[in-house]
Amino acid sequence: MDYSGVVFIFTLLFLGLDALPNFVLLFADDLGYGDLGSYGHPSSQTPNLDKLAANGLRFTDFYCTSPACSPSRAALLTGRYQTRSGVYPGVFYPGSRGGLPLNETTLAEVLKPLGYATAIIGKWHLGLGANGTYLPIHQGFDHFLGVPYSHDQGPCSSLTCFPPDTKCYGTCDVGVVTVPLMSNDTIAKQPVSFPDLERAYVDYATNFIMKSAKSKEPFFLYYPSHHTHYPQFGGTEATGHTQRGRFGDSLYELDRTVGKIIQALEDSGVHNNTLVFFTADNGPELMRMSRGGNAGLLKCGKATTYEGGMREPAIAYWPGRIQPGVTSELATILDILPTFTNLAGAKLPSVQLDGFDMKPILFDNGPSARKAVFYYPVDPSEKYGLFAVRVGKYKAHYYTQGSIKSSTTPDQDCGAHAFFKQHDPPLLFNLEIDSSENYNLSMADDPEYKDVLEMIQSVKKEFEMGMVFGESQMNKGRDPALEPCCTPDCSPKPSCCTFGEAEPI
Amino acid sequence: MEVSPRASGARTMSTNHLGVGAALLSLILTSTCCSCLETSRNGSPPNIVIMLMDDMGWGDLGVFGQPAKETPNLDRMAAEGMLFPNFYAANPLCSPSRAALLTGRLPVRNGFYTTNAHARNAYTPQEIVGGISQDEILLPEMLRKVGYVSKIVGKWHLGHRSQYLPLEHGFDEWFGSPNCHFGPYNDSDRPNIPVYKDSQMVGRYYEEFEINVKTGESNLTQIYLEESLLFLRAHAKAQQPFFLYWAVDATHAPVYASKSFLGRSQRGRYGDAVMELDHSVGVILDELRTLGLAEDTLVFFTSDNGAALVSAPTQGGSNGPFLCGKETTFEGGMREPAIAWWPGRIPAGTVSQQLGNIMDLFTTSLALAGLPVPEDRIIDGLDLSPVLLNSSLIDRPIFYYRGNELMAVRLGLYKAHYWTWSNSWEEFHKGVNFCPGEEVDGVTTHDQKEHTMQPLIFHLGRDPGEKFPISVLSEEYRTALQNISPVVERHKKNLVVAVPQLNMCDLAVMNWTPAGCEKLGKCLKGPKSQPWKCDWPH
Repeated sequence: MDYSGVVFIFTLLFLGLDALPNFVLLFADDLGYGDLGSYGHPSSQTPNLDKLAANGLRFTDFYCTSPACSPSRAALLTGRYQTRSGVYPGVFYPGSRGGLPLNETTLAEVLKPLGYATAIIGKWHLGLGANGTYLPIHQGFDHFLGVPYSHDQGPCSSLTCFPPDTKCYGTCDVGVVTVPLMSNDTIAKQPVSFPDLERAYVDYATNFIMKSAKSKEPFFLYYPSHHTHYPQFGGTEATGHTQRGRFGDSLYELDRTVGKIIQALEDSGVHNNTLVFFTADNGPELMRMSRGGNAGLLKCGKATTYEGGMREPAIAYWPGRIQPGVTSELATILDILPTFTNLAGAKLPSVQLDGFDMKPILFDNGPSARKAVFYYPVDPSEKYGLFAVRVGKYKAHYYTQGSIKSSTTPDQDCGAHAFFKQHDPPLLFNLEIDSSENYNLSMADDPEYKDVLEMIQSVKKEFEMGMVFGESQMNKGRDPALEPCCTPDCSPKPSCCTFGEAEPI
Repeated sequence: MEVSPRASGARTMSTNHLGVGAALLSLILTSTCCSCLETSRNGSPPNIVIMLMDDMGWGDLGVFGQPAKETPNLDRMAAEGMLFPNFYAANPLCSPSRAALLTGRLPVRNGFYTTNAHARNAYTPQEIVGGISQDEILLPEMLRKVGYVSKIVGKWHLGHRSQYLPLEHGFDEWFGSPNCHFGPYNDSDRPNIPVYKDSQMVGRYYEEFEINVKTGESNLTQIYLEESLLFLRAHAKAQQPFFLYWAVDATHAPVYASKSFLGRSQRGRYGDAVMELDHSVGVILDELRTLGLAEDTLVFFTSDNGAALVSAPTQGGSNGPFLCGKETTFEGGMREPAIAWWPGRIPAGTVSQQLGNIMDLFTTSLALAGLPVPEDRIIDGLDLSPVLLNSSLIDRPIFYYRGNELMAVRLGLYKAHYWTWSNSWEEFHKGVNFCPGEEVDGVTTHDQKEHTMQPLIFHLGRDPGEKFPISVLSEEYRTALQNISPVVERHKKNLVVAVPQLNMCDLAVMNWTPAGCEKLGKCLKGPKSQPWKCDWPH
């Protein structure tokens, strides 16, 4: 098929109308490499994401930067490793003092000067702080509707996760306030009502898209979903809908939302001028067993630096601009900021960035500018530095450590009992032949591997020379007084903080 | 039927080819107008092409999540046809699975099993005395009755002695060999495996038909492709309905590929073999289009058993998210990639949640040919034509056998294991591992473990990898067991087992003097007959 005509007309439109492209960034939570139908899950139901994959570009080798939430999110929004911004070790809590430092430039802040309307719906998890210092509205977002952290970071055993009245599984975090739904910097509801949450988000997203399109404002919609993180929840339309139980229903609700957002783009006539990008923050939480995600053929999951912890499904979709297909080029969430920035013609932040513009991959079927992927653990330190490095098809593990998050898997390397271990010489895997990291390549088998290891070592060394660790935000500690409470003067805390009447939004 | 865009009308074939997702667009949910009489436009029954891979795993296709995006033709076939994520082999090993395909019957019914020891996989190495029984009715024998001409290209594996060969059992033509392509042998202790054209040998592997085990080079897949194309062309011209059984074996260790494919795959030699087979699939489908036969031909692609993880990573494939591989009755051993393709009849880009089995190809083919199934015996295969043509879903169990033992049963989304076994400690300690990286405590047991009083039950929707048995104390367990137990009881009650064909071995029966060896001067002298009970370690 000859596309030159289409491309020509599009270019005319693009240049002629001088319309800046819109961006929709869809970010799933704890979703594994093998969880989507389009990535080989036999019982998931993800028709909208599969359609996006069919009509867009599907990545086979796309990575996050940390096997945990907050750090990956920081990297996504800043285009910089979490070690630079200080969003490590681990994640933020409701009472955390720190947050993504305000002097970091987020993607929203990059686009704002060009007149973009910006909104975030869903899970923030980059800090709250005293008086909401670190909330999205202080980081370039015009609008925020969502939960400032993970939706399991508050007691949930008495909450309904699925209608009509299936309680959330387990207890979630106890001894803290229940999870609030925030609108900008005020609490709209506490605790959130899980079965209604997604509908509220979809309505908000649809309105935001429609309104921006109508007023001809370019927009950036960041939709970090709570799905498919524990505790899985869903609305009426998703509950009991899949073969895959509660996890499947949660994923199905995410998929439905994606479908509705695409629908809103089409209805408002901006779909041909909108880049939609879908990926996730880290690998599946395997400790949840059949309520957790699936890393497909990859090894281990969340909180490990094996492939299952950090390789993610990713789809780029832009009708008329991006040719449908599959790419095996290396890319990471760090590459989203420079790509969006360049597409908008915005100015890159004048700090050390770690991402590469993905335009050649997206539009020209070309090679990635990225040659290496660096794997930091959940708790990176200057002492140990990188746990693993991938260059081309080879990945070397310098350190490995299992995690309780990946426990219960049959693989002994994944769980909490796989203690921190240094590897000298490093473990070496050929990810193209052995994506599952089952077969260590030893120099005894082939002396050539010595050269490979030396090459990776030099890439690692160069990278680490350029890495300056920012002050840890997590180490600033926590203060229960900072936990969001809708009735600030009530007692006894945290249990008195409830506010059920207000409607979301 | 679940119609998801997981695979669907791939309109654009750019250089980037399609994975599952990639393929799909147009979800054509047409309730096709089919009556029971499945005849094609000119009134004659449709042609049937069965593409049977050897040791290829569920996870080896892009459309099933293989990251290497090296199966553009198969992904496109899925986009134009119907994808089956729940399709099964009849056995976790090649010969029994193939015998089941061609007879529509479980190996315990058709004789392709052993009773030498409990729950052992058996097949047809060249010292095997037995083969497919004269009492069994094979698919080509049936199709012949309504004028089909049948050809098998590739590996037969239903017995290599003269009375067991394909032309004795309904096939009109054959190009290929009776056994696996193991070797090379020295022709004095052990003969190299012969290659046949029809009923005469035309050479031997590693001699006239070269396989370089060192480099992996062999042009066998090209020969098998050419043989298929010749057949298609000849019968297109003759306007005679045909059955092509394309049983290629390049993905069975020692894996091979022709020179132009060697080194092309990022997955190594195994991937090279996959790429060449994928390419061949594309060529065959194109040829059907060119010949104007596409809309008169059902093409079904699947594999004989799970990927051989003992040969991974360079000589073995991937079973995706499933547990273990070939030789086992876990999902990885028996869940297969499967695609049905019939432009104009099977809706493009559909995914069917139907539980399918390789034995269904027998029954479905008969139905499409307008033939009744034999009534004097139990046929295990199901007629899938309503699934293919009317998007129906039919309830049916899947039985997982290892040798003479019913190891597990799947009903709906529940699978109950009555026996578990990966392999013996002895074999495991020798380095034979059917479940690398995934030893599930109490599940992938190295002793044959009986659970008949309290089967292990998994929900394959939530837990396709069979890692988390459902608690025996739960209501869910009780309900699942209540549903499965009567199915198992009924199955066992009606089971008439055949005389086992795979018990006896004898060096004297090896391929010393295949028919036609005199003409080629390739007859070899074998030893005196000294039969023994074959040793089946797995």
